[in-house]
Amino acid sequence: MSRTDIKTALFIAYKTIIKGHKSTVALIIFILSLSFFNLMFVSGFLSGFSDGIMRSMIDTSTAHIIVIPQQEPTRKDFILDSNSVRAQIQTIPGVISTASHYQLGGSFAYDKENNGKFKYVSAPIIGVTQSEEKNVLTVSENMVSGEFPDILNKDEIILGANLSGGFGTKQTNDLGGAIVGHKVQVTYANGITRIYTIRGIFKITIGGIGSTAFISTKEAEAILSTYNNASEIMVKVDLTKNTLANYINRIQSILPELTTETYIDRLSTVGVLVSAFNVIAIIVSIISIIVAAITIFVMIYVNAVSKRRQIGILKAIGIKESIIELSYVIQSLFYAILGVIGGTIIIFLAVIPFLAARPIPMPFGNASLVYTSLGIFINIASLIIAGILAGFIPAKIVAKENILKSIWG
Amino acid sequence: MINVENLVKTYPGKVPTLALKGVSLKIAEGELVALMGRSGSGKSTLLHQLGLLDLPTSGSVVINKLDVLSLSDAERTRFRLQHLGYVFQEYALIAEFTALENVYFPAMAFGDTSAKERAAHLLDLVGLQERMNHYPSEMSGGEQQRVAIARSLINNPKVLFADEPTANLDTVSSEVVFRLFQKLNKELKQTILVVTHEPEDKKYVDRVIWLKDGLIEKEE
Repeated sequence: MSRTDIKTALFIAYKTIIKGHKSTVALIIFILSLSFFNLMFVSGFLSGFSDGIMRSMIDTSTAHIIVIPQQEPTRKDFILDSNSVRAQIQTIPGVISTASHYQLGGSFAYDKENNGKFKYVSAPIIGVTQSEEKNVLTVSENMVSGEFPDILNKDEIILGANLSGGFGTKQTNDLGGAIVGHKVQVTYANGITRIYTIRGIFKITIGGIGSTAFISTKEAEAILSTYNNASEIMVKVDLTKNTLANYINRIQSILPELTTETYIDRLSTVGVLVSAFNVIAIIVSIISIIVAAITIFVMIYVNAVSKRRQIGILKAIGIKESIIELSYVIQSLFYAILGVIGGTIIIFLAVIPFLAARPIPMPFGNASLVYTSLGIFINIASLIIAGILAGFIPAKIVAKENILKSIWG
Repeated sequence: MINVENLVKTYPGKVPTLALKGVSLKIAEGELVALMGRSGSGKSTLLHQLGLLDLPTSGSVVINKLDVLSLSDAERTRFRLQHLGYVFQEYALIAEFTALENVYFPAMAFGDTSAKERAAHLLDLVGLQERMNHYPSEMSGGEQQRVAIARSLINNPKVLFADEPTANLDTVSSEVVFRLFQKLNKELKQTILVVTHEPEDKKYVDRVIWLKDGLIEKEE
């Protein structure tokens, strides 16, 4: 196709749009704007859902990176000299903060009515230094009763709402509504039994953290007969400064004997949920693109059929079919681009401000539309490619018709 | 200029229609010829085949020493753009283009950069200098037909075909169109083949070919 052919096709497209019925042009652009809005909104909402779940997991349970004890060649129970290990990790640029965890497990016994009728529940227990923990995870921001103090006494415990019971949906294995100030008895795996006063109750519904309990590091060390070690070190990083893979490489280079995991490794059942949402997002996006393509096809086809006479005349005076087809592709490209702009305006100037003003609460926080540059590019490219194909095919069909039939019907 | 041999055109259908039953004719360069005959005689069908708007069932058409039926689709389209002018009964202007744009567009598609000036000159020639920026919907039937004639001339065609160009025009406009054909024929030596059903149009042309039932009945 020569430059003259392109110029000719552009001229036909320009004049057809400019002199076309304003209301028809406006309607086509409006419908394409809605198609693009639909594509963006559904994919953005589902991405926001997945993103919200993962953000919630990172903030409340896993941080970005989890450093665990040596696994090979022999498996060790603890990271030794955890203060030194944390200090080394914190020298890596972009690392925001770290916190050591001791992981224990125990059987809880709670006599709510003080009548000798105990309820027994087994649950994981995490030993943390509360002041450090607050710099890495946001459990302290999710308290529904009591508090998450900077210093937790050795005889105090903080329970997740799914463990305590009494806050929302009843769990099959909760304590039946434990209350701050009440006492619970915990029997650890090594046989040690302690009685703790409940200092606070937090509620986190994403992941398993809501069914755990926190005690102080000193208490955990006393139970485990250890000092300055850790079962795991949670690392919070700034992902705008470096990639997760690079942070892991840096940690492994300075601590080669330790093992690292990412939050993705810890998603478990939540990961299945996130994956399911991602698959749903892809399916819905494909359906939206197909719907948008059919919409463009129908509109361009109707438009092309209504211009059969014009197409016939163009062919009669010697205009090549390829020029006519290109002119219709240009027209649908024009509609698709304006549809993209229109849909983007609806999303960014109407829906996002609306969601900001009237948030829709979700288990992980407020619903939000999440987009990546690649995602936006794919959506735009999809609609534009759909527009080009949906413009080309009807133009090809109509341009193939006999000249006389096109002119006189 | 035009040499037609045994041209046959059959329209397919449950009962196929034999519209041309073996037409042979010759038209010399610079001739102004009218094709006449009753409705259904095959005169428009013949013009469509000669203007390469349709393909005959059999026969041969040589225009300017070229067997045009041997050309591919793309070559025929190119030939139509480059060498043939066609004026339709119902003007067939592009509604979205102004008169000037309608006229210079075929030359623009041909890559002719001086098309606008020549289009303006042609519109002047057909007496529409003042109307060149008007759209077809803003013009009378006679004016639209003159725009169509100017358009058909923009690429200096070897032959100008006109299919009942005055059928929708009043007497005055019809006379203007035929006078214009005469002027083009005399001044530009333009070969013109015009289909008409009005016997009084004979006075404007050099020769009349009469068709009847898909065959040449006589020549005058």
